[in-house]
Amino acid sequence: MEQQEIIKLENATKMYPGDFVALDNVNLSIMKGEFVSIVGQTGAGKSTLLKLIYAEEDPTMGEIYFNGKSVREIRRKHLPYYRRNIGTVFQDFKLLPQKTIFENVAYALEVNGEPTDEINEKVPEILDVVGLGSKLEMYPRQLSGGEQQKVSLARALINCPQMIIADEPTGNLDPISTWEIIQLLLKINTLGTTILLATHNREIVDKINKRVLVMEKGKLISDIQKGKYNL
Amino acid sequence: MKILKLWRTLKEGFQNFVRNGWLSVATISILTISLYLISLTFMIGITTDLLLKNVQDKINISIYFNPAMEENDIVAIKNNLQSYKEVKSIEYVSKEKALEEFMQMGNNDPAIKQALDEIGENPLLASLVIKANQSDQYEIINKAIENSDFREDISRINYDKNKIIIERLNKIVAFSKEIGMILGSLFVLIAILITFNAIRITIYSHKQEFEIERLVGASNLYIRMPFIFEGIFYGFSASIVSAALLLVTAKLISSFVERTISQDNVMSLYLSNFWQIFGILFAIGILLGVISSFIAIRRYLKK
Repeated sequence: MEQQEIIKLENATKMYPGDFVALDNVNLSIMKGEFVSIVGQTGAGKSTLLKLIYAEEDPTMGEIYFNGKSVREIRRKHLPYYRRNIGTVFQDFKLLPQKTIFENVAYALEVNGEPTDEINEKVPEILDVVGLGSKLEMYPRQLSGGEQQKVSLARALINCPQMIIADEPTGNLDPISTWEIIQLLLKINTLGTTILLATHNREIVDKINKRVLVMEKGKLISDIQKGKYNL
Repeated sequence: MKILKLWRTLKEGFQNFVRNGWLSVATISILTISLYLISLTFMIGITTDLLLKNVQDKINISIYFNPAMEENDIVAIKNNLQSYKEVKSIEYVSKEKALEEFMQMGNNDPAIKQALDEIGENPLLASLVIKANQSDQYEIINKAIENSDFREDISRINYDKNKIIIERLNKIVAFSKEIGMILGSLFVLIAILITFNAIRITIYSHKQEFEIERLVGASNLYIRMPFIFEGIFYGFSASIVSAALLLVTAKLISSFVERTISQDNVMSLYLSNFWQIFGILFAIGILLGVISSFIAIRRYLKK
């Protein structure tokens, strides 16, 4: 089976004012359908790498390609459309506090201009998948951390993105919730979605037993298929 | 699809408006105070204007003609003077009418009647009572009369007697206009600043949400529209509250100045122009709300 490249980084470098190098000349290629864990200590450049991919930041040098197209060349006006191809999940969940669970997930469809009846159908479905079908009308503050992260994951999935980027998604969660989230990610991956997971949880990386990228001081220092957490 | 998105952002704006709770109440209060300050400035301006007009109406120049003058000639002069653009009205008071008024003023005192009978004829002079459009125009009218070809037919002009009063009034009018302008623009400026700040705080409280919304794939316009609508709701609510406040104020002011101004009462002025005033308040309120939102949100939508 011929594998297609979804993400390619060419000499990607990101410098912040004060000559701080957050990402140093990274070359990387990720295939469609891969599950890739990125490990490294705080400040190693994991988040910066992810930010460049979902176009929150521009690289100072080098190029990022998504499906063969340069991300840098996407015009600002078209960035929202680009972002709809990538679902994002974060350590702090990033849910809208004034919206119910249903509204939080629905928002990702509403901005696309999806018809209302389709939204009313899809949102409960996806929330059922993550096990929150009975909490549609609750607000984020009424849920546990694990549940909030599931909402965030449901929102990332609702647009059927080609890739999910998860930046420390389990950083704030207890071991049981952590494992639930990872299993959801693995399940999503088996359905064909590319997963990019940044974490420093040794246990999970070992259990996942898939490709591992190790970063240190902004450099990519190792890239192993079926890797373990070695720092 | 555009209409669907517009409807959604409208709904979203309304939801924010309702769910913000106290923050909305605070913003509306501040916007109300702003609108109230602006309209109060105008209302005080209008009232002062009415008061001054009222005093101005009581001022005039009277020219008294020599007894030999025929009524026809006086009417001709009257017609001539009426063509001046400074002249608002001229009233012709004949000898007979002057006498009648004189008698009335003295309560038809028999002593006065006797005195007049002894003289044997009407000693009063026919006159023209001239009112100017503006109090500072009396000087011009007076000069025109002094230099006219009928100057010799005039027995006396009472301008000098009124001169001091007229000049003082002119000063008051000019002063109150100046103060009104300065205070008015100061109030408007303060109103704009506090409204802008209040809305900036509201938007600041949503700061983190913009980032989230962007990551989920919302365009800048989609993020911005609810706040524009929220601004409209603020403006709408504040204009209703301030119109009500203004009604109460108009009532207070009008009871206060009632003794001085009988006609053109402030209250009736407010009521007869209610929809216009409300429309202006509404427009200013919405404009303030929308422009403040628009500017305040800009800094959070960099990318």
